[in-house]
Amino acid sequence: MNLTLPRFFWSEYRKRRKKVALITFALFWGTLSILLLMAFGQGLTTQFRVAFSGLGETLIMVYGGQTSLEFEGLPKGRPISLYPEDVDYLKDRIPEIMTIAPESYIYLQVSASGKEINRSVHGTTAEFGALRTQIPQPGGRFLNADDVAAGRKVAFIGWKVATDLFGGEEAVGRPVIINRIPFTVIGVLKKKIQDSMYQGPDADQIYLPSSAYRQIDNRRRINQIHIQPRSADDSMLIESRVRTLLGRKYRFDPDDRYATSFWNTIENNKEGMAVFQGIEIFLGIIGALTLLIGAVGVTNLMYALAKERTKEIGIKLAIGARRRVIVQQFLLETAFVFAKGTFWGFVTAFNIVHLIRLAPISYDSFGIEAYLLRPVFSLRIFVAYLIIVGLLVFLSGIFPALRASRLNPIESLRYE
Amino acid sequence: MIELRGITKVYRMGSQALEALRAVSLTIGRGEFISIMGPSGSGKSTLMNIIGCLDTPTAGEYVLDGDRVAGLTFDQLAAVRNRKIGFVFQNFNLLPYATTWENVELPLLFNGKNAKKRKSRVRELLDAVGLYDWREHRPAELSGGQQQRVALARALANDPPILLADEPTGNLDSKSGEEIMTILTELWRAGRTIVMVTHNDHIAARSERIVRLFDGQVVS
Repeated sequence: MNLTLPRFFWSEYRKRRKKVALITFALFWGTLSILLLMAFGQGLTTQFRVAFSGLGETLIMVYGGQTSLEFEGLPKGRPISLYPEDVDYLKDRIPEIMTIAPESYIYLQVSASGKEINRSVHGTTAEFGALRTQIPQPGGRFLNADDVAAGRKVAFIGWKVATDLFGGEEAVGRPVIINRIPFTVIGVLKKKIQDSMYQGPDADQIYLPSSAYRQIDNRRRINQIHIQPRSADDSMLIESRVRTLLGRKYRFDPDDRYATSFWNTIENNKEGMAVFQGIEIFLGIIGALTLLIGAVGVTNLMYALAKERTKEIGIKLAIGARRRVIVQQFLLETAFVFAKGTFWGFVTAFNIVHLIRLAPISYDSFGIEAYLLRPVFSLRIFVAYLIIVGLLVFLSGIFPALRASRLNPIESLRYE
Repeated sequence: MIELRGITKVYRMGSQALEALRAVSLTIGRGEFISIMGPSGSGKSTLMNIIGCLDTPTAGEYVLDGDRVAGLTFDQLAAVRNRKIGFVFQNFNLLPYATTWENVELPLLFNGKNAKKRKSRVRELLDAVGLYDWREHRPAELSGGQQQRVALARALANDPPILLADEPTGNLDSKSGEEIMTILTELWRAGRTIVMVTHNDHIAARSERIVRLFDGQVVS
């Protein structure tokens, strides 16, 4: 591209500094708006995913219930409970299951270092750690298969439990007394954002090997079973198979929705993501409309320049410029006006996003700040922004460009 | 080379029609130097615009180098203007924001010449009109005679066989006018076809043939 033609534009452009400054500001503001809104929109979606994964990734929870339909001569209203052996029963019969774990819980008094608190105490297996994102802080670990097999009296505790019982001191290796039985802390949960829970946030929970748990809670039944499918697409299939298999074992109608219940986080997640992506798109549109105001200003400027440069265009046409030369020139100049206006908007938005991300998030309570303080400036946003700006450059420039290219050479040469 | 047969040009202004040219027929041979004369409003500029492919006739036929101009598109006409015809205007029509060099370079740019060819051709043309040392100056910094020489260099950029000059000395002092006429005469002698519009009998006398227009018709 030869720069001789755009150089002429620069002379005209400089003469209109005041008007151009307003347009530049509108483009700056529009760019700032669209990028920040898109960054916050994507931040919301990302944080939703992060917060939801605090409970567990691709997780299906199965609960017992009460029959609501008569079945094979049995009356309705029978309670259906789940038992530890149901875990193997389901795993052996449903190949789509990747990981499965039981869970029982009871609210008990817990003490250590002379402090007493009341917390939910859970009995489970090693698989639970991966299923429910129980990531230990450095120096500790979650329950393992040997803990369960040997009935070791060990405990994995939430970080708030550790703070409540041990203050700022190291908790790993220290004893906790649960229902008058001493357990050794083997790990403390790493801080995480969690917006979905059933017995309160994991920060407040205590996890024991299921074998040891029976010493403090002698009920044989379990509260729920956690299942992770090999593929998220299989979640509804697994739900259906679990209902059928348990119905066969405990003799209830597989269509009985109350005999067992499910918390299918995969399906919940899909719905949630759709809502947040909708918000993301909506925010992007709002931002694009703000930028559109600047684009209208550019169109006006280009129309004005086309009029002022009528004679120049006439001269070019007379000495052999084709229409596309005039169109290209105007589009290039429109892109230049946009580039000047949007560059600083881009830089400012980029820095604002990075500054906001420096703000700390409280893990003690899941507040709105966890969503608002983590805007994301991603490649996807950059590409979407470039497409929007490209489209606006084209739309802003093409009409003045076409008008300029269709000028009559003779009339243009006479224009003063 | 240039054949005009029964060329009529009618301008419509609302319900009124103004006949600028009436069935003008004219043949200009290759390498000829002709002057077109006539009073204001006689149709000289309209005829010049049609010959220069800047305008199209309402009726009649224009054949340039054996090709009918009427069938050409806007861009094809632009290509003809770029390669076959050089324009010299009374008021120079240079781009005010462009330097001498850039003004001369423009037709080469539109012709798709590469930077190397453009550079050597512009240098050659500016040397020929004696303005190489003024290459970085803008039109406002040049005298009328210098501006017209820049316009001449621009007109010759793509080495066109036809040069159209519309009152080329009209805005110049006699010395500068004489310089321009000397260059035009040299160009004619070198084989170029020159079509010049002028009011000045003394200037017109330098051409081979004078075509006189009156009320849109050729009278002699």
